[in-house]
Amino acid sequence: MKKKLMKWLNVGLVSVLLVSMLAGCGKKSDEGSETKSDGGKGETVKIGVLVADVSSENAMAFSAYYNDYVAKEYNVEFQFTDALEDAASEKAAIEKFASQGCQGIISMSSSDRALQIETCEEYEVYYAVATGMLDDAQYEEYKSNEFFVGQIGASMTAEYETGLDMAKYFVEKGAKKVAIYGAFIPNPMHVYRTAGVLAGLGCTYGGASDQEGIAGQIFGDQGVDLSKVAGDVEVVAYFQGYGDTTADEFNAASQAAPDAFISVGMGTTFFAQQLNTAEIPFGDIDSFTSSNSEAMKNGKLEYIAAVYGSSIGPVFAVMLDAINGNVIRDEEGNALSINQAYAVATNGDEFDEYFLKDNSDSPIFDKETLDAIVSDTANFEDVKSLVEAH
Amino acid sequence: MVKNQRKLNKYKIQQMIVQFLPLVALVVLFLVFCAVVQTKGYRLDMYLKIVFNEGIVLAVVATGAIFIYSLGSFDISLGAATLFSATMGVLNYNAFENVPLMIVVIGVSGIGCSLLSSILASIFHIPVFVATVAMMSVLSAVSAQIITSRGGALGGISIPSNVLKSLDVPAFKIVTLAVFFLLCLYVFNFTKIGRREKFIGGNPVCAKLTGINYNKHAIIGFCIAGLSVGLGAFLTLVYTPSVTATTASSLGMNILVAIVFGGMPISGGADSKIFSAIIGGFSYILLDNALELIFDSSSGYGITQIISAVFFLLVVYAASMNYRTKTLPR
Amino acid sequence: MRLIKYCQGNLKGTSKAMGNKVIFRKCIGTLAIPVIAGLILGVICLVNGKAMIGNRTSFNNFVIYAAIIMITTIALSINLNSGRFDFSLGAMAILSSGVAAKVTYSVLSGGKYSAALMLGLSLAAGILLGLISGLIYIILRLPPIISSLGVTLIYEGILYTMTGGSYIMGEVQNTSMAKVSGSWIPAFIIIVVVLITMIILFDHTKFGYEYNALKSGQKVAVNTGIREIPNALICYAVCGGLMGIVGFLNTVRNANINGGQLGFGSISIMFTAFLPMFIGSYIGRYSNEKFGYLLAAICMSMLNSTFAVFANTVNASMQSIINAVLLVVFLVYLNNEHLLKKGVKQ
Repeated sequence: MKKKLMKWLNVGLVSVLLVSMLAGCGKKSDEGSETKSDGGKGETVKIGVLVADVSSENAMAFSAYYNDYVAKEYNVEFQFTDALEDAASEKAAIEKFASQGCQGIISMSSSDRALQIETCEEYEVYYAVATGMLDDAQYEEYKSNEFFVGQIGASMTAEYETGLDMAKYFVEKGAKKVAIYGAFIPNPMHVYRTAGVLAGLGCTYGGASDQEGIAGQIFGDQGVDLSKVAGDVEVVAYFQGYGDTTADEFNAASQAAPDAFISVGMGTTFFAQQLNTAEIPFGDIDSFTSSNSEAMKNGKLEYIAAVYGSSIGPVFAVMLDAINGNVIRDEEGNALSINQAYAVATNGDEFDEYFLKDNSDSPIFDKETLDAIVSDTANFEDVKSLVEAH
Repeated sequence: MVKNQRKLNKYKIQQMIVQFLPLVALVVLFLVFCAVVQTKGYRLDMYLKIVFNEGIVLAVVATGAIFIYSLGSFDISLGAATLFSATMGVLNYNAFENVPLMIVVIGVSGIGCSLLSSILASIFHIPVFVATVAMMSVLSAVSAQIITSRGGALGGISIPSNVLKSLDVPAFKIVTLAVFFLLCLYVFNFTKIGRREKFIGGNPVCAKLTGINYNKHAIIGFCIAGLSVGLGAFLTLVYTPSVTATTASSLGMNILVAIVFGGMPISGGADSKIFSAIIGGFSYILLDNALELIFDSSSGYGITQIISAVFFLLVVYAASMNYRTKTLPR
Repeated sequence: MRLIKYCQGNLKGTSKAMGNKVIFRKCIGTLAIPVIAGLILGVICLVNGKAMIGNRTSFNNFVIYAAIIMITTIALSINLNSGRFDFSLGAMAILSSGVAAKVTYSVLSGGKYSAALMLGLSLAAGILLGLISGLIYIILRLPPIISSLGVTLIYEGILYTMTGGSYIMGEVQNTSMAKVSGSWIPAFIIIVVVLITMIILFDHTKFGYEYNALKSGQKVAVNTGIREIPNALICYAVCGGLMGIVGFLNTVRNANINGGQLGFGSISIMFTAFLPMFIGSYIGRYSNEKFGYLLAAICMSMLNSTFAVFANTVNASMQSIINAVLLVVFLVYLNNEHLLKKGVKQ
């Protein structure tokens, strides 16, 4: 018994030593990074990135762009969180970043934006939003906060319009019957996209035909109630989420023989193979990936609206400016709020424009492009025109 | 005679070591954590505050859960109950804008959830674990339905951030934790309730034969756990005034890990220790954070979890040396 | 003499009648739940002008889902019936299928026989993972619920590290896998093979007898010389193998594997098997327990198909609530059956 005890105490001791050794390893790399300089321009800038999704291809592309390209080109070090699941984990992550010496936080997690800004203010670190924008009321409340640099991404209106354009595309191609996949409603982004799709099909929802009217009802219904849809184009099937019943729901949608399958997110991840096999033309709001390239060139993917990996370049640039002392404000002296539209591809060539041109070696927002706004003199107009030009 | 005395002494020392192992692990983890933070050049004061904030809800709810675990049962729905209580609190505040009323509603919701689980288990004779699995599904589904339909474009529901902000300070939280812990310590170690709960957990048949009413003590145990759920939900709102469908989602399983980490036998009984919750809760959070700092790349989260699990198994193994049996444990 | 013959004849007749009555009771007891569930769900669908299983693809999905539920239920029950609660079933399923998908793709690049190879590898990986899980339990001698917590975290961490947290998609989206998802026959064959193997293994082998002895009385069985450790190890290996098959079938059904499930994200796979396990044990009173699990899985698959039909009105939250309420109601009945019967008699 004693031997056993000693044996395991040894194991415990070894474990502790191992942890201590690993801590030592951590020290070395960190010390190195702190003293790393960029041609004498000063200390490495540390930026923390709040992430809610680590699994999707978009998330992968974003982290690859920051870690594999931006970090190499600029004197910057990025710290990414694991998938943040709630407001408490977002707040804790900001606190950890602040105590690690991060000077800025870029957010791709939206459990509680208001709390994120307030926490950043408390720890005096800059804050910017890269994906999923603040709603109008929240922006109004925090736009004058000195640590809120701004938001560059798709606004809820942009999400709505992206859905609207995708639906219009299929209507113009003659679709009379469509199936809709609502992804993860009540995720606000997906609600607004779905509202846009219904409007783009020329349908009303519970009598409403405007953005807020439709979106508000979808929030209330927690999905789309087909009995409330009216219009010339018939919505033969609607489903959302991903679980045990999805395969059956997709099958029901497929059996209804729609002219088009419209997904507002993750449709290519979950159903591309089945849609190609069933030969149903489909559209999605997703990302420029090799599997989607294949589906567009040799499958039935006809329309894709997506952000590319380097689309989060400008938000990094304004964050870096702020950290370097140039906090860019709009004409009224408030935090930036610039809408960044989705890139759209309807054929292989258009797809390659974004897919092949945007990679971690030579992204669309490369150093040369970003340098136009990474400066002490960059202003709102420079940033806005750069974002709108891409 | 002397030999026997020596053996006895050795055994006593051995028992003591094993008994104090979780505490030793906590101290070692604390020192390692401090060393890691210092060598990384990060701010230790801030990090300690973060760890305390992360650990307090876990420690509070786990302390209440000890009353269920000591009976030899365990409850997996405590995380979902915390979410439900917080949701009810937010709804109530937004309707009446009255903090004391909100606190009462949170407490009542927590106790209500636990009471329902205990009624299913005690009155309807459903195995406790299965009853709590069902409760977990129901509570998280109902909360999600409320939060997402009322949260709209914000994706969650919240109270104004200034309502409880003044309480988001270590002093308030330490006092809350201390008062609740001392209360539980008193009930668990110095009253009939605690002693009987341990007796039931150790030998339910004997306990029944001596006239101890299982149902009554199960309901009391669940009610205390419910109180801790309410307190945990309140502390969650103190830290973050918003509630989303995923709030406290990992709490239920973390409680199980924390309690075991703190040296509590899963079978309950006489060896149940009330301080297992605090020791285990903070040990787990310290370990997690230390490893997160060591493997500070995003791909390291998997490795962090593996090492954390191995460490957990080793500590629990060493701490459970007293409970070895000839047959395989069940 | 005549009287004796008369009595014998009467007894024979009575015992034959009694025998028929028992068989009839057993048949009724076995089929009652699936038939009643099928009728209720079918009527609900019909009243709303819909069909529970409307076409061949629905039927394919129905059979695949029934296979997943049946095998998960058997895997859960093997250890749970012996008092060993295993949280790691879901983690074994995702890790075994993840490893199998990666290896299969590296060998066949999504070509012919990919599905067959992946099934084989998934099964083998599952057995290995089950064995490791069992070894950890036996070596550490911790209560299985605790050792399985650690194992779950380790397996989830390995898959996360392997995939970087992303979905495994390209490796499992090919025509070979599509063929399996596009037909009910492979899933049906898997059901038959697993069911027969499990019935033989647990009811007609030395291992099975020892398993049942240990299940009924651990200490007595060990004292009579039954070797508990090899028996437990085999149980874990069998569970792992079964969960490997479940991982494969889930991959067939979903066309992807989520590699980003940390912090017990995988345990929900196991929770789906609670209700069918209790229903199956109830049905098992009248026939074979494993066969009971099959019938229970069919009930669950019918419920799932009905949920799918009404997906627009019964959302995911509502489905969770219905499943939980059904579980509670069934368990309330099961655990208070004697009281109810007593009440009825009075």
